[in-house]
Amino acid sequence: MKNLTALITGASEGLGKAFAFELAGRDIDLILVALPNSGLPKLANFIRVNFNIKVTYFEYDLTQAENCSAILAQLKEKQITADLLINNAGLGNWSWFEEKDIFFYKKQIDLNITSTVLLTRLFLDQVDKSIPSYILNVGSLGGRFVVPRKLVYGATKSFISYFTRCLQLEQSGTNVHVSLLSPGGINTKAELLVLNHTLKGLAKATILEPEQVAKTAIDGLFKGKKEIVPGQMNRLLVTFDMLLPTFIKELIIKRKLTMNLNPQH
Amino acid sequence: MKTKIFVSGASGFIGRKLCIALADQGYQVHALCRKLDHPYLIQHENVQFFVGDILDKESLRHAMRGCEQVYHTAALAKMWCKNKDDFYQVNVIGTRNLLESAVQLNVKRIVYTSTCGVWGPTFKHPMVESDPRIAGFPIDYERTKYLAELEVNTYVQNGLDVVIVNPSRVFGEGPITDSNTVSKMVKGYLKGSWRVIPGSGENVANYAFLDDVVAGHMAAMVYGKSGDRYILGGEDISFNQFFETLGNVSHQHKKMIRVSQKLIKFFSHIELLKTKITGLAPFFLPEFADRLKYDQKYSSHKAITQLNYRITPFAEGLERTVHYIQKNISA
Repeated sequence: MKNLTALITGASEGLGKAFAFELAGRDIDLILVALPNSGLPKLANFIRVNFNIKVTYFEYDLTQAENCSAILAQLKEKQITADLLINNAGLGNWSWFEEKDIFFYKKQIDLNITSTVLLTRLFLDQVDKSIPSYILNVGSLGGRFVVPRKLVYGATKSFISYFTRCLQLEQSGTNVHVSLLSPGGINTKAELLVLNHTLKGLAKATILEPEQVAKTAIDGLFKGKKEIVPGQMNRLLVTFDMLLPTFIKELIIKRKLTMNLNPQH
Repeated sequence: MKTKIFVSGASGFIGRKLCIALADQGYQVHALCRKLDHPYLIQHENVQFFVGDILDKESLRHAMRGCEQVYHTAALAKMWCKNKDDFYQVNVIGTRNLLESAVQLNVKRIVYTSTCGVWGPTFKHPMVESDPRIAGFPIDYERTKYLAELEVNTYVQNGLDVVIVNPSRVFGEGPITDSNTVSKMVKGYLKGSWRVIPGSGENVANYAFLDDVVAGHMAAMVYGKSGDRYILGGEDISFNQFFETLGNVSHQHKKMIRVSQKLIKFFSHIELLKTKITGLAPFFLPEFADRLKYDQKYSSHKAITQLNYRITPFAEGLERTVHYIQKNISA
């Protein structure tokens, strides 16, 4: 049987890289997408050497709409069909609204929202609808709560949640399985490693390692889960979201807010 | 006058032996230690001890003054400590303090002792320096050593001459410190109190002999490229091979019990609970139990070709370690 092929965006670091290893371990061929100079050729080669799979990569900036089309066009030329799409690339931040300029927000929206919509649209054009295919959109647990200093980021993730749930309804009964991943905090970048190191108790229990999140997400995707929330503590938070008194939720958020970064306002 | 060399972590497993090797070559060693009555400090006419702490910049500068070269081997290399923030303070802030002092005192070159733990788990092939990390950083020691490497990189970009060495699991002739897990296992085996082989025993790790690692440090000072990393390892050995070799070199073949990774993980959660309630040090933690699912294989090829690094055969190194423990360390 032919291997499945997965297209992963934002594959050079953090959760995207963890997806690459997780899928490689399941003998799924990979198409990796990340920004130029992010070490993608080395990563692709490392995976090729350590696993018996095919790895293709594209060093493209996905905030440019034409790059989304270019990736799918080149795959068609190479006669590669993607069976899985992992919309993982995203730009986060932790800053008051007025601290970032308009170009940052434009980029954030272009990457988090536009590239996800465009790639999903282009992906559906090329799949063979007679066999199963899978889309995993990376949202955020933060999208459920109102979190200052994550306002545009959180809003883009709310968009992803809405978009994914509607797409699930449109595709129900077809071979296209669509899942929403809603992770809490993940230990990815160095700044986060430092920041998350200082957390204690409940806030700490919501932070997971990227490989844990990737494994739970891919398990859930193949099971056809509509929404995947990795981590027992995070699932508990979601379950009790409605029951939890507002002051506890605010306590968690405020705790995050008062961490070592000083507010400017 | 011979060159003055500063060494941090003089009472540590690597630092101690490094002080001896440098002093034997006639260098004047300025050794930083937290207290003078530490049992692992060596006596040598070329070694001068300075009481201090890498978290105390004034004491660092005092000990480093006049030194041309610096070896930074000091680290918190335990599995666990009561205050988690100590890992960050000692390994990251301590390294930053040391680099800052080196800049102020115009130190010519620094060798920084990192660890293969910055790569951690491996897949099919042994890791080389340019390979990516394949998992997160749940282990405090590995995470803070990684963050310390980023500190070093920042100083290198600003013109400081630092070479990074990454030893794997170091074993050899020396005191049984917190980080010296191999000697703990060997001592336990000889006493009959260590009878466990984790999982199937197929799990592979890389074992570096102390003398090789010390020589590798000194070679890095001479031949290393600033900003580069060099894996200082040894042979990739499975638990089964480890205990088979240990049986052969000690002439004591003991029946070992295989305990599954799942059971070890379960046990580690109980240990964690015990630690949370009582504050006592755990025997084992869940993040270490998880690591038993992976190999930890590393290639020293770069150090061999660029630093003339030599690997002592594992059996030979282990034999010397066993003799040392039998002779010097009472049960």
